[in-house]
Amino acid sequence: MNKTVIIAKWEYLEKIKTKTFIISLFLTPAIIIGFALAPTLISDRQDDSTKAIGIIDTSGIYFKPLIRNVEKFKLANGQPNYLLINLAGNKKNLGELKKSGDENTLSGKLEGYLLIRNFPDDSCGIEYRSKNAGNFMELSNLKEAFNNARIELKLSKEGINSSLMKFISNSVDIKAVKIEKGGEESKSDFIQLFFTSIIFIILLMMMVISSGGMLVRSLVEEKSNRLIEIIISSCSPNQLLAGKVLGLSALGLTQVFVWTLVGAALAGSAIVPPDVFNNILPVLLFFILGFIFYSAIFVGIGSIVSSEQEAQQITSYLSLTMMLPLAFALPAIENPNSTFVHVLSFIPFTIPAIMILRFNIGPIPIWELVISIIIMAISIYLSIFVAGKVFRVGILSYGKRPSLKEIMNWLKEE
Amino acid sequence: MLQVNNLTKNFKDTVAVNNVSFNVEPGKIFGMLGPNGAGKTTTIRMMLNIIKPSFGSILFEGKPFSKEFFNITGYLPEERGLYKKSKVLDTLLYFAGLKNMDMKSAISESTKWLRKLEIENYKDKKVEELSKGNQQKIQFISTVLHNPKLLIFDEPFGGFDPINQQLIKDILLSFVDSGKTIILSTHQMDIAEKLCSDIFLINKGKQVCSGSLAQIKRNFGTNTIRIGFEGDASFLSSDPSVIRFDYFSNYAEVQLKDNIKPDYFLKTIIDKINITQFSIIEPTLNKIFIDAIKENSD
Repeated sequence: MNKTVIIAKWEYLEKIKTKTFIISLFLTPAIIIGFALAPTLISDRQDDSTKAIGIIDTSGIYFKPLIRNVEKFKLANGQPNYLLINLAGNKKNLGELKKSGDENTLSGKLEGYLLIRNFPDDSCGIEYRSKNAGNFMELSNLKEAFNNARIELKLSKEGINSSLMKFISNSVDIKAVKIEKGGEESKSDFIQLFFTSIIFIILLMMMVISSGGMLVRSLVEEKSNRLIEIIISSCSPNQLLAGKVLGLSALGLTQVFVWTLVGAALAGSAIVPPDVFNNILPVLLFFILGFIFYSAIFVGIGSIVSSEQEAQQITSYLSLTMMLPLAFALPAIENPNSTFVHVLSFIPFTIPAIMILRFNIGPIPIWELVISIIIMAISIYLSIFVAGKVFRVGILSYGKRPSLKEIMNWLKEE
Repeated sequence: MLQVNNLTKNFKDTVAVNNVSFNVEPGKIFGMLGPNGAGKTTTIRMMLNIIKPSFGSILFEGKPFSKEFFNITGYLPEERGLYKKSKVLDTLLYFAGLKNMDMKSAISESTKWLRKLEIENYKDKKVEELSKGNQQKIQFISTVLHNPKLLIFDEPFGGFDPINQQLIKDILLSFVDSGKTIILSTHQMDIAEKLCSDIFLINKGKQVCSGSLAQIKRNFGTNTIRIGFEGDASFLSSDPSVIRFDYFSNYAEVQLKDNIKPDYFLKTIIDKINITQFSIIEPTLNKIFIDAIKENSD
């Protein structure tokens, strides 16, 4: 068997068996999806049963219009979301009403109750009293219903007809539609962009950082116990370099494969929109190009450190640099046609992130695509060439970190 | 087998190895001796093509370095270490694979060696679970597993207890019997003296002496004899063959003039005293080492 393959196999099998790898394999997508969905899931979560809401209205005029205005809030099964109960029916004084309202709420008979106090100047003070004051969803629904009811009352009092009333109280949503070639149109929103682009950029960065870190650590281990000398007296440095990069890429692809499976299993379910896979092929192309490019940089820089401490230091610097394209990618969402974004499409460090994003924002001119692929290919060639030279000398240098001048000399060496 | 010519290695502003030449004969143990920092390890690294020499050449069976060389050498570096988290057998098979050994024979050879070094039942353990001595054994096995023609050991006995040192020594001698060539770099002069037939002594990057052990001993010999006797030996002080002597209660160490053979001297004194013992004193390798280094440093 070829020695490159033997090394790749060893790196792959030894790393894939580690607990850290297995944990991160399943934890990473869980964390990413969690981050993306938690806020929306929590705020959009619908009630699953009708809630009884009490009304104490000192004026007595709001109850009926309120009932009309909560009718539009429905549960998933079509049942009404809220059932309003007039607590002010048998004319007790306000203190007693409040007391019984509080009791009913605490005992669970009511979800909560609205205390509406009308003041002579036509303004009013309202409390929604419930066990859980942080229920924004409920609060905003009730707020909307009450305000609509109040406007309705006022308008009908002023003699304005009901169709005009409807018009005034209806607000209109704006829907974002992305135009694609061939006259297709598709709706686009942040969640969708997240799952089609940003998730891949984050995955790319995380993969490079985690596998690059692994590579640097394994090199440091081999350097510190001189295993590197045994290996280098058994194969050429190029075989070692190729084997390591190959093994780690295989490891990275395993991660992507598992994550894609997770994504495919969730696709179509409420969590991952099915459009994720629309541009998957060009996205994967830039993903892989980016991975090779960044890995080569890690190998080159990683081979010059000789202690665990230095390795940690240098990988954290590198990781920060790796996160930069993500920072650039976010403004690109806002204005994908700016010169800034076009320039970033030709800089090797940002090409993968920007391109992955642009595929899902709008069409990319063919010439831009071709040029950025060519730039990427040349950068990969150069980075592997330089990393290989540095690697050959770096793996055998111990102690003091070499200066930039020394590294330049290594590059000139035959 | 291995021919080293005018080998030199310069680092930034130091000369680690300065113009050394020697021959390693096949089927023998070649001892590479020298104090710390003398340039032994640098020389070994150049022989293994780990680093490139600044000048000079290394020929293996008359040919310069080629890829085949990777698979016929076994190297045990002075600083030991293995993949701590990996299993013993997996580690051995990986190193065997790096030496182009096929899987089947790698497994059977590993099992054979693990049994030979009495650590068979650690086969499926992680390396870090083994004692330091047993880890050294694993590394020793990884060096010899692929049946290399040329073995290079840098301080192979460090970290072994006397029983295991003997075990390793016996294995080294059995390698010589089966025709392997061994380069042994060590500080332990007593072991080198027992095992090596050829010696290369290096200090501060420079070659101090090299050749067969017997020849070197003769060169460093001071033509000294020891006589055990009964009677009065005061005549030694006036004997023309004697340069100097140390007189003890019932024996004396006598240094003879260079042109006086010990057996001739024996004839001249045999009637004067009653001799109980007569032997030629050879300098120990330890003494040669210390004297040579001292002389070289002055």
